[in-house]
Formats: sequence, structure tokens, C-alpha cells
Amino acid sequence: PADTRDAAQAGVRSAPAPVTDVSRLCVCDLLVAQCDTNCCCDPDCSAEDFSLFTTCSVPAVVGDSHLCSQKAAVYSLDVEANPPERIFKLIDQVNPSIFCIHATNYKQALYLKSPEIPTSENFDELLDKYGGATFSAEPDSWNLDTDMQNPPEANETSRYEYGLPVQTEDAFLRLPSPVVSSWCSDANPAGFLVNQATKCIRSVSVEKCDSIQALSMLFYINSSILASVFQVNITVQSIVVQSLNGMRTSLSSSEVLRLPVVLDELCINAVLGVNYHITHTDTGEIIEAAAAFVLGTISKEELSIEQSFEISFTQENTQPVPLSGNPGYVVGLPVRAGFQPQGYPFPAASLVASLALSSNKHSQLTILQSTSTQDCLTAQGARAPVLFGYNMISGCKLRITAAMKCQPLAQTLLDVLKGQSFPEFVASFGNSQAQDVLDWVPITQLHISEQMISHTLQSSCQIPVSLGIEVKWTKYGSLVNPQARIVNVTATITTSTLKQLPSGRERIIPITSSVVFTDISSPAEPSYKAWPTINIKLPFDFFYPFV
Amino acid sequence: LSSLPLQILLYVNGIYYIFYFLATLAMIIYKSQVFSYPDDFLAPDLAVLFLMALLEVPQLYLGFKGNLTEAEAPLGLSLGLTVGSVVLCMYLLLWQTYVLQADVLLNGVLLMAYGLESGLKVMAIAAFVS
Repeated sequence: PADTRDAAQAGVRSAPAPVTDVSRLCVCDLLVAQCDTNCCCDPDCSAEDFSLFTTCSVPAVVGDSHLCSQKAAVYSLDVEANPPERIFKLIDQVNPSIFCIHATNYKQALYLKSPEIPTSENFDELLDKYGGATFSAEPDSWNLDTDMQNPPEANETSRYEYGLPVQTEDAFLRLPSPVVSSWCSDANPAGFLVNQATKCIRSVSVEKCDSIQALSMLFYINSSILASVFQVNITVQSIVVQSLNGMRTSLSSSEVLRLPVVLDELCINAVLGVNYHITHTDTGEIIEAAAAFVLGTISKEELSIEQSFEISFTQENTQPVPLSGNPGYVVGLPVRAGFQPQGYPFPAASLVASLALSSNKHSQLTILQSTSTQDCLTAQGARAPVLFGYNMISGCKLRITAAMKCQPLAQTLLDVLKGQSFPEFVASFGNSQAQDVLDWVPITQLHISEQMISHTLQSSCQIPVSLGIEVKWTKYGSLVNPQARIVNVTATITTSTLKQLPSGRERIIPITSSVVFTDISSPAEPSYKAWPTINIKLPFDFFYPFV
Repeated sequence: LSSLPLQILLYVNGIYYIFYFLATLAMIIYKSQVFSYPDDFLAPDLAVLFLMALLEVPQLYLGFKGNLTEAEAPLGLSLGLTVGSVVLCMYLLLWQTYVLQADVLLNGVLLMAYGLESGLKVMAIAAFVS
């Protein structure tokens, strides 16, 4: 056998030969040189020990039961005798089945394989086979490195599917991203149609900044993307230069490649952000790729900079408008809103009337975003988009002094509450198109005055103190997959009287804005298909001789 | 005169052989599923079985032809092929990877049939030559 051969050659202790004699096998013999209780097959037990046993834990030791005839060692306790004694019988057990193994010429069939003893000759081979986290019959198929280095074939890159890495000349289009920690890893491929935005930290040093590849524009536009039969070069769309104090200026000429250069003790033209825009056809072929760069300056003290990367995919000849659901609104996506262009009456039966939609954040339905300063007058501009299904409340504090005039203050507060461009219409479905005017719900504006007391003078000042947007939505469509549909949007402005203050005094008034989503769906009525009708008719000549 | 017992035996042998071939093939498949049957042990067993089937067809045909036409040449050739079949049958009986009880029975019956057949063929050849 192989064990003894190994032992003879290497002089190393080999694995012990397997024991196959049933009379010597004892599973319950666990203690060495000691008698195990109730273990009738233990050779360390004497006759006195057997007399103390109550039963045999292992009544029989049998080999492979598939064999036609095999030896079995049967142990039993004869409790009738005084003292009880153990009976050991070696019998031939016969397997009556006609498919019992009569003989076998394959030694390992009935026994477990003895593992190979590692020697200095076979150690490397054993390490290759068993050293990894998984073993397989064909270890070559698990070699992931060869996959990455294999250049892709031409016919594979003809069309991309969602999620597949965008392939370039050398490997794939890389979007550096933080992997385990916040440090940038360059091995993250950009997936087709997967819009991503990542931020990660890169360690830099000003002295070597022109040799660090990831800081140079060339690294990001070097390789061209493989698409169908030709290659698409990545063009530079725009370059924005950010100065040390954070001010950004857009460069007019974006054809010139700006590489990092050490100037005084600063490194200029270092890449701080890349924004890829890939244009594709509706069949999945990439036709254009552009990159917009943000270049910045690194000072000597900075040991690491934060780089941000983004990639977005646009279909050719379309304007990207993000949908908030298809068709019903998805909880968490922004509520889409728009304006009707001037001059078109509503409802417009003509196909020409359409809503001016834009993905610009300022035309969406937004509410005031609370800031850390909580001062209404200094917080202009910070707005949060209204997300479907999320009730929000925000506010700020208004400090009123005696010197403030009413009318400008009221107008300012209205701007603060409603924002620069408060929309007129809200999309009823998440995917409503701008040309379907009937799919859009007008926003009803209400004004409520806090004090409706008749003796209040009309000329006294009314300032808006709260804006409440109530969105009523319903479940629409099939019972098993209901879609959310906005039915009604009401924006209520509550105004309150501003009392004139004596000079020198000031008051603080809270200003609030809130969004509430209410489900007004009526209970669903399940409807079933009509029962099939059974049409049984006898043929007209069934009663032939008689009719 | 053609030997009637040989003719009957050849006919019965043909039918039995079809059953034998299908049963042995089914048992090899069963063994490969239930027991550990690596490919380099499975291949020789299957090869021997198919080789035996290849030998059996001409052997039976030549036996029929020789016996009916009372010619000793085809009968002699058939005897030679029978010897080959006997060797392969012995392999399946003794040196197969797993020999089940059913294998022993089938091969035993086939060996007895071959033995009887060989004897009858020898007698028939002796009768035709003289």
C-alpha cells in the first residue's frame, strides 16, 4: 500500500493502516487503558467490570452492509447469569438482496481514502490543491486573475447589458471608490446603465504629485471604450479649476490637457473630481463618452485629498428626466412638479400644451430645509425636495424688530416658505410625461388667517407663518400590485397679524412648513372573471328518424 | 443433418443475451450511482460489455447459418467467437469493479449456455465433416 511505500522512501512516520477486523473494532472504547462503562467491546475491561454493566451500548459491529456476506461481532450481556457476563459472538451476516456486492476489485470502494502524507516532494502540489479556501476538482477554473487579464473579444462588446462592466482597451472603465475603508480603490468597474457617485480618499504628497497617476487627467481619459466595432474615445467635456479657498472657475478652453505640476510648494492641476457622461443607443451600444473634471490645488500640509467620481448614462436624443416610479410613485422618490407655460388655458385639449419639466432641483416641489442657524432671513436657498410618502416638517425662527416693515417682510417670508419657484402642477403618476396634461394635478392654494376676529383692522399687517402641503394619494390599479397615484395637492398658507412693537424690543416667531401624505384610497373590490358558460347543445339531427 | 438441439440453444441464447445485456447495463448504471465508481474503472467495464455485444451478433448469425446449411466453416468461426465471448464473460464475472450477486447469476447462466453451445457446435462440426 501507498503508506508503507512513503514510509520506506522518506523515512517519515506514515498514517496508521486502517483497522478492518470487526472483532478488534470498538467505537465506544474512548479511554486508553481504562474500562469504558457499558462498552462491551472494550478490551481493557475484565470479567468483574462486565458484571457491573447494565447494557451494551454497542450491540454489534458490522462492516459495510452492502456486502453479501460479512463478519459481524455481536456483543450482548447475559443478565440471567450471576454475575452477569458478556457474550461475544462472531457471526456471518448475510445480505439477502440480490444486489449485494459479491466481490470487488476496487480496494477503495469500501474504505475511506487515507490522506496523503505531505513530504518535501509533494508539499507544493498539495498546497496548490488544498491550500485555498475552497477545493474543486478543476482548480484552474477558479483562477480569477486570468479572467481580468484576458482581453475581451470583439463580438462580446457589441452590446452591453445592465450591470456589465464597461470595457476599455486595457481592462474596464474604472470608477475609484472606497472598498473596505475610505481609501480609493481603482479596481471598481463602472457598470453599464448603473449611475454611481462615489467619494474616496487618496493619499498624496506634493513632492511626488506629478508622478501619482491618479491625480493626472490622463489616467482617466487614457484608454478608449470598446463599443461594437469601433472604439469610443473619452473626450474632455469641461474643466473646472478649484482654488485653495474653494472657489471654482470654469475654464473656457477644455481641449488642453492639464497635467499636475509642482509650483512653489503647491501641486496644481490635481484631479479632485471626475464626472463621466456616457451616451448610448437604445440597443445598448455606447456612442459617446465625455468626462468633466474638477482640478484643484494641493498644499504641502495635506497628506490626503478627497476625490469624488460620478458616472451617468444617457440615451441618445433624450433628455434625462428621473422617474419617481413606474407608474405609481415609489416611497422615497421626489414628487415631480412643473409649470404650465404662459398663454395656454387649462384644461388644454390640444396636444401642443405641455408642461415645462426640468430635472432642476429648484423646480421640484420643495420645502424649507432647517439649518443650524435656524434664522429664517439668513437661511434662504436651502430647500429639501419633497419625497413621496415621507411626511416632513421644518421651520426656522424669525426675529422681528421694531424697524421691520410689514410688506417686504411678508414677501420675504413667502419666498422663504414657498421657495423661488413654487410649482403649479404635480405629476399624478411617477412617470407622467410632460405632454399628458391630464396626468398632472394642479396645486390648490389656500390662505387661512389665524385671527378671524372682525374687529381686527384690515390694514394691519398679515405675515405668513406656516405653509402646510397636504398630498392626498390613492392606491390605483390591480389588487396585488397597487400603484400610488397623487389625487390632490393643497398648499395652505396661514397668516397671522404682526403687532407693532415698541422700539428697541424684539420678538421671535416660529415659522413652520410641513408636508403630509394622506392615503385616501377606497377599499379595493376584488373582481373575478366571469364563470365560463357551458354550451351544450345536441346536434339538430340527433333524433334523426323521428324528427 | 442440422443439429436441432444446437438450433434451439442458439435461438434461446439470442433472446437471453438481449436480456443479459440490458440487465448488466442497468446494473452498471445502478452501481455508478450508489457506489463510488471512478471514471477510469467504469470505462473498462463498459467497454467489455459493448465488445461482448459486438462479438455476440456475428457469433449467433454464423452459428445459425452454419447449422442450417450444414457447413463447418461458419460453425468453426462461430466457435472461435464463442471462445472470445467466454473470456469477456469471465472478466465480467471475476474482474469487474463491483460484482453483485445478480452479476454472478447472470454470468453463470451465460457461461453455462456458452459451454453447452460449444459442445454442441463441436459435435455438429464433427457430424458435418464426416
